Amino acid sequence: MQTEVSGSQRTAQVAALKGFGVGALVVGLVALMAVAAFRETAKPRPQQVATSAEANQIERPAVTPDEEAYARDLWPIHAQVKQDAVRMTFAGLAYKMGDIKRAAMKERIAPLTPMFESAVAALNKLQPPASMRELHGEYIEAVKLYREASVTMIKVAADGRDGHLIEAQAMSERASGLTLKVGEMLWPGEYKPN
Amino acid sequence: MKNSLKTAMIAAGLVASALAAPAAQAADVCSVWLVENSRFMGVPFGAFMPDRAFVPGSTNKSNNINTVDLPVNVGVIKCGNELILYDNGWNQTDYHKMTGTDHWSPLSKQIAQLGFDAKDVSKVIVGHGHWDHAGSLDEFPNAVLYIQREELKGIEWALNYPHPRIRAVNDSPGGCARTPACGYPSKTMDSIYGKVLKGKAVIVDGEMEVLPGVKIHPAFRAHTAGSQLLEVPTSIGKLVFGSDAYSSWEGIRDWQIANPQQTDTVQQFLAYEQCYKITGGYQNCVCAHEPLSYTDGYPLTKNSWVGMNGGRLAEIALAPGEKSRKK
Repeated sequence: MQTEVSGSQRTAQVAALKGFGVGALVVGLVALMAVAAFRETAKPRPQQVATSAEANQIERPAVTPDEEAYARDLWPIHAQVKQDAVRMTFAGLAYKMGDIKRAAMKERIAPLTPMFESAVAALNKLQPPASMRELHGEYIEAVKLYREASVTMIKVAADGRDGHLIEAQAMSERASGLTLKVGEMLWPGEYKPN
Repeated sequence: MKNSLKTAMIAAGLVASALAAPAAQAADVCSVWLVENSRFMGVPFGAFMPDRAFVPGSTNKSNNINTVDLPVNVGVIKCGNELILYDNGWNQTDYHKMTGTDHWSPLSKQIAQLGFDAKDVSKVIVGHGHWDHAGSLDEFPNAVLYIQREELKGIEWALNYPHPRIRAVNDSPGGCARTPACGYPSKTMDSIYGKVLKGKAVIVDGEMEVLPGVKIHPAFRAHTAGSQLLEVPTSIGKLVFGSDAYSSWEGIRDWQIANPQQTDTVQQFLAYEQCYKITGGYQNCVCAHEPLSYTDGYPLTKNSWVGMNGGRLAEIALAPGEKSRKK
């Protein structure tokens, strides 16, 4: 069944169709612009898989004034301890590489023992904030280990036994791990990519 | 009696050479992979390559990149039955925050992705002794460490220098960039010393052939006092690993210095030249921190995939008979 349509009705229908078309075009354009704007402003998705390293990079809150003061007082002690620790290692290396004799190694190590003792004394005078007490305790333990390592290394001068060096190296390596933790907590820029 | 002894010795020699021959043949060319031990995120480009320093608003391709992500690349080299690492990344998680690191995993687990056992690593050749290149030695207990005597001497010289700013392991809480003893924390030095004490270290003086065709070349002061390169024969020609003597592949391509720590820039250019001479160009120079690593931008490393924790790996060359380990 067909219905007849008059001329004026047809004109009205064409106009309505045109209106609908223009409306649809406008809606489409607006939608397109919205999608484009969203894509421009949306944060790009990371291409790599989520990482457990992120879990390792737990952000701790900014240091408090007390922590900052502690970090400032600790730094000169820490800088000296690091240097003395590496000097101790190099005295052992020089001996093992045949560059120096036992007596010379003793000469290099002997002054380091009181240096580590002074560091422990200086550390004991610091007043760490509550948040740093555990770390501070570990740090003192580390320097005591370095001291003990230096005393153990010197024994080689007396009996020439490499066993002392092996024992001392294990202590020193453990201490080095502990001192590294302090840097991670207090001085995020202590070591940079090399 | 003497004659029979001579005959026995000759016979023993012949048997020994016959036994050694297959290994030597197998080592004619080596298989090579590259492993991204970690990635330093958002490093200012100018801190890595001075000639690429960012200039705000610049349209010059050399100066319009603000920061780059630097992979820490480790070479995994299989020559016959020998498994060699060139550099060995680092494993002290305390460095994560300090260095803005991502995508780190223990190197022993990363090489397990290639089907290798850490216990089977027979040699670790370090390009230099910095913490991010010699920091995983404890994961490879059976490996013999190869390090230049000059590297150790250089550190010792710095430690004993009269001026406190020069002898400091690092001179401020903000970092130690570029002082002579910088980059050698006691933890790393202790692990190197540990290898020496256990009789698992070879202190190298200059050039050394560690296996047939696998040669250490000194590159003194090209990054540190005792930097060393490693030449490796492969099915795609000779490769030369540079560690940080050439940290950047774009740097070696464009003759621009990179990662100038304890570097004499003239010596760094001579290290570049060494790679050009040995390999016939720059394509086969293996760089430690090239930001384009594992992409088409650094063609040698483009045959790559993503492994554990987002760290990437690349299969660079396979010896005849060696199956692909790409996953």
